[in-house]
Amino acid sequence: MTVQSTTPQFKQNTKDALKNANLQTALRDTRNGFVGKRAAAREKMGVDEFEGLRDAARDLKNHTLANLDVYLEMYEEQVRASGGHVHWAKTAEDAQRIVLDICRKADAKTVNKGKTMISEECGINDFLAENGIKPVETDLGEYIIQLRGEHPSHIIAPAVHVTVPEVRDEFRKAHTHLDADRNLDGLDTLLKEARGVLREKYFEAEVGITGANMLIAETGQSIIVTNEGNGDLSQSLPRVHIVMASLEKIVPTLEDSATILRVLARSATGQDMSVYTTFSSGPRRATDPDGPEEYHVVLLDNGRTDMIGTEFQDMLRCIRCGACINHCPVYQTVGGHAYGWVYPGPMGSVLTPSLIGVEEGGQLPNASTFCGRCESVCPMRIPLPKMMRHWREREFEKNLTPSAMRYGLKAWAFVAKRPWLYRVKTRAAIMALGLLGRRKGRFAALPLASGWTGGRDMPAPEGDTFMAQWKAGKRP
Amino acid sequence: MPPTNPRVALFATCLVDMFRPSVGFATVKLLEEAGCEIHVPEAQTCCGQPAWNSGDRETARDIAKQVIVAFEGYDYTVLPSGSCGATIAKDYPAMFDEGDPWRIRAEALARKTFEITSFLTDVMGVETVAAEVPRLVTYHDSCSGLRSLGVKAQPRKLLASAGVSVREMEESEVCCGFGGTFCVKYPDISNSMVNDKVTNATATGAEMLLAGDLGCLMNMAGKASRDGKQIEVRHVVEVLAGMTDTPAIGEGQG
Amino acid sequence: MSGRDEIMQKLTRTLDQGDGRAARQAAVRAHMAKPGGPVPSIAREEDAVGAFIERAIKADATVSRIASADDLPKALAEELRNRNLPAAIRHGADPMFAGLDWGGLETSVGIGRIEEPATLSRAEFGVAETGTCVLASGADNPVTLTFLGETHFVVLDAGDIHKGYEDMWAALRARGLTPRTVNMVTGPSRSADIGQQLQLGAHGPVALHVFVIG
Repeated sequence: MTVQSTTPQFKQNTKDALKNANLQTALRDTRNGFVGKRAAAREKMGVDEFEGLRDAARDLKNHTLANLDVYLEMYEEQVRASGGHVHWAKTAEDAQRIVLDICRKADAKTVNKGKTMISEECGINDFLAENGIKPVETDLGEYIIQLRGEHPSHIIAPAVHVTVPEVRDEFRKAHTHLDADRNLDGLDTLLKEARGVLREKYFEAEVGITGANMLIAETGQSIIVTNEGNGDLSQSLPRVHIVMASLEKIVPTLEDSATILRVLARSATGQDMSVYTTFSSGPRRATDPDGPEEYHVVLLDNGRTDMIGTEFQDMLRCIRCGACINHCPVYQTVGGHAYGWVYPGPMGSVLTPSLIGVEEGGQLPNASTFCGRCESVCPMRIPLPKMMRHWREREFEKNLTPSAMRYGLKAWAFVAKRPWLYRVKTRAAIMALGLLGRRKGRFAALPLASGWTGGRDMPAPEGDTFMAQWKAGKRP
Repeated sequence: MPPTNPRVALFATCLVDMFRPSVGFATVKLLEEAGCEIHVPEAQTCCGQPAWNSGDRETARDIAKQVIVAFEGYDYTVLPSGSCGATIAKDYPAMFDEGDPWRIRAEALARKTFEITSFLTDVMGVETVAAEVPRLVTYHDSCSGLRSLGVKAQPRKLLASAGVSVREMEESEVCCGFGGTFCVKYPDISNSMVNDKVTNATATGAEMLLAGDLGCLMNMAGKASRDGKQIEVRHVVEVLAGMTDTPAIGEGQG
Repeated sequence: MSGRDEIMQKLTRTLDQGDGRAARQAAVRAHMAKPGGPVPSIAREEDAVGAFIERAIKADATVSRIASADDLPKALAEELRNRNLPAAIRHGADPMFAGLDWGGLETSVGIGRIEEPATLSRAEFGVAETGTCVLASGADNPVTLTFLGETHFVVLDAGDIHKGYEDMWAALRARGLTPRTVNMVTGPSRSADIGQQLQLGAHGPVALHVFVIG
């Protein structure tokens, strides 16, 4: 693993997040934006048709994963035929080494980055910087967090946790070549300033790194889907273009990409289509006046082939739209950084243990109420709660479940499996609790239940159990 | 078409059994009004969801078998809970491998297991309930009932038939933060979530906050009382059965 | 062992536990023969040109119609004037542009530069489904013009507007086009990364105007 996680400290992270007033403001201001926009886009298309496309997208990706070796070979052949190079990276470290080699051969001092989560997963920025190459994030959100020395807190809105005054402060600190007394009040002035600063950087870099939303097996094209246009400038202007993509990004044909595109933006931002959807193949041709002279694809595995054939395979259908994150009440409460690694929210809670190990990432699949909202909006119909439960099963099998919880479960199971004992035990407990609490109707504190009573009362039981009253002949 | 007087087994659920028997009696009343013959199998304890969701498949399976044996002989199994209902109707079959005879029995039980408002509306074709409760309420859609069992319109339809006005809250479909063991494993997050929920509920100005799951209700009632918010928290069946004379959840008996 | 071999061997070993390699190849062949999924009704509307214009405008582009390519210089000059832009345009070597009388407009041919107030491209196709322009890279229409122009003008033949993506891909194949880059453009550049408020013109064009010919 190359990117240090703070996932084992998830609980502490969430406590800090809840106390972080700026973060809470940012989360509150955005919580209904994405949700409302997705719902409107779905309505606009027609619910039945949208749901049909979700089925088709799921089936398409299932087909691709079931035949992934054949499609990968086809893709590789097509990239080669168009003059590009495919580099296979088994691990994040392999990907780092490959990217550095390409940058060194290009004699790169500066590398422009389009937004890529695979690069985050591989820790490319820190690695390049350690090796004397300057990575410049060009997605506006990524740029803001790079200035802040942070990682993205959301896969499609990386700076969603940053408030406008914080952006203003960062720009004043970073853009020292500009007039110190300039007016930065309006959002438009902030955008214009970033646009100006980054525009120059596009022309400085020798290498541009982007991700890929899809890789087309039939044609060997990589697809990026963006709204800003930074990804296109990052891949068109430098002499060398590196695509970093994980190997499950394959789709068979151009027509198939249409199916994914039809659910992607609608699920992500509620747009019918993102502004720029770009299909790229190989380096610039003899007659092309622009475009990169070299085109490299780094195909990352990093644990994904280990997921194939397991109960976690469905996760590889994920197209990184962020809908599960946008709809997750836990994410909406604590934000993305609390998750402690690259991928937050429900998709992160399933993927993180797969990629960094359940020992390290096991907190995440536990931090869910299984409310199911993520699965209900996932365009690829990934059963996220079910897979989180599978992680809990793995933890239970590996004895990683906390001992208090394990012991409690065991004791409870012993009783629950013996109805007569259960009757006696629950009745005794409830009668006692009822006697204590019936007058007020609730408890402000209870032994062993401080987690509950820290923030809320515990309603008292009414008195005798239902089963005992029923048996005694009570009827409504 | 269901049989005219179906033999219905009531699964009270552990929380109703222990904390709020009146929900069990209200359920019985509604079922009887709908013409059902009520049975309460002795061997019921818990549906096994805590084990299943904690990754303890073996215990979950053991408990599922116990429930299957106790309930499979009836025409229907009905629960005053979408959460426990979904465990039986959706999770039990998934607990057993294809080809395991228990899988077939689990699937058979799953097919005839229903949450109470869904059973009354979708199976028994109940259009109106007997009670008249002209009150203003708001309704929290508990997650499993809503998303696993499709319970959304049914309680609202029955409430309307009882003369209840429902004023919808913001984010009625967002989790209240209970989540079974979640609320004690992650109390800070849970507390923040239930705070949002109770804030949204009270913002409607409704007199009552209703839902179909006692776990969520205890969570919301506990938060409302801690924060001194004046809203009566009840299980939807209490209102539908006209049994609102008992103290609300978390309210004292004086 | 190379990374490639390691990955492919692991993958093949796992997938072999299901269908065999030959069966997988057959499944792939069958799929490639009949690719794609359901085509939604927004991609099947009879009036493709009307739907294209309506949806491009919804995506914050502006659109005007001209009768023929000969009308382009005048229409473009007017648009530039209305936008308070200098009477100058940067475009590629597309034959359509070469044959036009640009009148008083200052034109230059080439790729995008660091400051480009206005650029012009000819789109190969339009897609009614989402009001999307489809551009093919090359000397005729360099890809950087699409992203570096502060205002980007696109000219598009009404006859090249297709109902859905599938129709557009079929037309691209039929035309024998295999450009290095295919750019689908739906409205001007935008970002909500500052304060989650949507603003136009993040890195790419602040404005996109489409001239539909015919």
